[in-house]
Amino acid sequence: MADDKKSKHRHRSIVFESMYPVLALMLILVACVELCDAATVVDVYRLIQYDISGVPFGSRFSSLNHHAASLSFQRGADLSRSVLILPLRELDIGFVQDYISQKQSLGGLLILLPQTFRPGNVGGGSVISETEGFRKLLAQLEKLLIHGNIPFPVYFAFENEETDAMLADVKKNDALGQQATATTGGYKLVISVSEPRKIASPTITNIQGWLPGSRADGDSNQLPTIAVVASYDTFGAAPALSVGSDSNGSGVVALLEVARLFSVLYSNPKTRGRYNILFALTSGGPYNYEGTQKWLKSLDQRMRESIDYAICLNSVGSWDNELLVHVSKPPDNAYIKQIFEGFSNVAEDLGFQVALKHKKINISNSRVAWEHEQFSRLRVTAATLSELSTPPELLESAGSLSDTRQLVSEDSIIKGVKLVAESLARHIYGHQGKDVKIFADDSSLAVNPFYVRSWLDLLSQTPRVAPFLSKNEPLIMALKKELEDYTAEVSVQHESLDGTFTFYDSTKASLNIYQVASVTFDLLLLLVLGSYLIVLFSFLVITTRGLDDLISLFRRPPSRKVKMA
Amino acid sequence: MTLFHFFNCAILTFGPHAVYYSATPLSEYDTLGTSVKAAVVYLATALVKLVCLATFLQVSETEVFDPYQEALKAMIGFIDVAGLYFALAQLTHRNISQNHKFQAVGLGWAFADSVLHRLAPLWVGARGLEFTWDYVLQGLEANANLVFTISLAALGSLMWLRKNKPKSLIPIIYTCAMIIATMPSIISYLRRVMGWHFPKVVGFELVTSLVMAVISCQLFVLCQRPSS
Repeated sequence: MADDKKSKHRHRSIVFESMYPVLALMLILVACVELCDAATVVDVYRLIQYDISGVPFGSRFSSLNHHAASLSFQRGADLSRSVLILPLRELDIGFVQDYISQKQSLGGLLILLPQTFRPGNVGGGSVISETEGFRKLLAQLEKLLIHGNIPFPVYFAFENEETDAMLADVKKNDALGQQATATTGGYKLVISVSEPRKIASPTITNIQGWLPGSRADGDSNQLPTIAVVASYDTFGAAPALSVGSDSNGSGVVALLEVARLFSVLYSNPKTRGRYNILFALTSGGPYNYEGTQKWLKSLDQRMRESIDYAICLNSVGSWDNELLVHVSKPPDNAYIKQIFEGFSNVAEDLGFQVALKHKKINISNSRVAWEHEQFSRLRVTAATLSELSTPPELLESAGSLSDTRQLVSEDSIIKGVKLVAESLARHIYGHQGKDVKIFADDSSLAVNPFYVRSWLDLLSQTPRVAPFLSKNEPLIMALKKELEDYTAEVSVQHESLDGTFTFYDSTKASLNIYQVASVTFDLLLLLVLGSYLIVLFSFLVITTRGLDDLISLFRRPPSRKVKMA
Repeated sequence: MTLFHFFNCAILTFGPHAVYYSATPLSEYDTLGTSVKAAVVYLATALVKLVCLATFLQVSETEVFDPYQEALKAMIGFIDVAGLYFALAQLTHRNISQNHKFQAVGLGWAFADSVLHRLAPLWVGARGLEFTWDYVLQGLEANANLVFTISLAALGSLMWLRKNKPKSLIPIIYTCAMIIATMPSIISYLRRVMGWHFPKVVGFELVTSLVMAVISCQLFVLCQRPSS
């Protein structure tokens, strides 16, 4: 029975298939609809487009419809109607710099990145040393593109067989001096997207988790609080690729793991400490830690004053031997001394070093290089743990294209987690200076490397540029849920991003690659076909009616004229 | 310039039919009516063929050459011959010599076939930005098909309409007609089993169509001699 049914079904599908000519006829009627039938479609990611106080930066255009060109054309050729394909492997940074600084016109720029930089690409790819070179080059290129005002569309794509084949073909033609134009044919790259629009009111979302300490008597608000903070959003040349595994995915992972460890400790009344712990995942990190500032200001005055100190985690995923504690109060300050000593004692036991680095804050300067400076401005003691030795510039070290999963080692993060958790625990339980291991490797309180890895992998696949995240973004929901699991009270705060930054949408598109014939070819084909038809006509006339008929066909008009006359 | 390409391919696909009509005496004797009738018969035949294909044929998920299925397909292909027979022998045509009748029928038949099978893919595909040789080749295939159809019509008119043909030629006529009628199966065989690519297949079709045209032309001339 079932078989019978099946065959019936088959027959029906045959009927449909064989109705093709009829359907095709119908299709002619509907053929006004433009059909997209590109041979190759490639995912491309647009360079970010943004304004700072009205000054435009980044790629100012998005749609693309030009022929492809490579760098092997003769220098000085007019490229205003071609898309230049630049593989990172052969990138000449000086050339790009010249092009941008001289404001030369270009139809578009397509930068091909090695597959190693694809977010979520965990291992493999090319040799590490080779990748290291690319990383530096990519960082340079990114800096150039982010801070330039580029009057043509710039896209990033990842190398694959199709793009490689196209590039090889384009290069071959360019080397022959046949630049791709309408008259010579070649490859046409088409990205049809609408004009980029301003993102109306970008929001930044802070997530806060509250782990209350135990009080002997009285209100828990009387207890001192320790804050652990990490900013989770990113900023990079391509918003759709900006995953920031190290900056600041590693900090977020470390924070979650610390929260998990302390939730275990605090779930038992016997081991619940006499400190409240406040965990905060802040947004707006690349923009002078705007989210941190807004979050701090929104905190209850009493709560803010109860904060004993705050530890900010920033880029803790790729260091070997030394981690830096950045502070803005002078190192001889009693609180700073206490924090630093706590860290250095633990670090010594764990077998690495921490160093103190002091940078004064300049209130008149709007630039906030470290997250703890936002705390310091509100007179809360705070320090940033980071592997970076120099304060990053605005929009830098915030999740660039080269900041991928491969760069980050889980071991570094685990060491960082141990450092933070252990020193916090010693502070909370009053074991300063003693060699006690609360989070020993084999105990039930050990750092879980699988947890660290899974979160790191997730964050390394999720672009997190704040203006492009909606309020209910899955990632934000996931982070919130995670904190809900580990803390008693979670609140999510939505704030609008300050007006100085304006962002534009269309970060992702599909590139259609067409192999096109030239107009010359079409003309030639028309000529050939025309002569074929003429020859056919003459042949048929001669064979069926004879040569005289053919000749008389051409003679007739003048004879008519004679008659007319 | 894609509309241009479409235009080119359309010229190649449908031009020869028009040229054939206007260049040969068909246009002088105004045989358009016959051609239109043949086209209508073609449409009806195509419909019958579709129904037969749908009822008797299995859909093969893979592009495998199944001899039984192909034989069945060839059998169904002979419906074409039946249709052609109907158009040539059963339908009444006014004021038309046998000589022109088969040409007009073949022309109408081939034109309807081209319109039905090639116009839609052409319109959809050749206007795209992407350039392929496929539509030019398809146009060439239409040319070969025109020659095949007219040859088959010529042989058909010899088989069914001419009474006093030389006995010795009869087997040759039937063999040639068989070969032309089984052409779709032969091509399908070449494509699937031999793995020939489209350009090669089209080249083969063009060559065989010319050969068949020459043979049927000779046969036609040979058959005409004794009667005259």
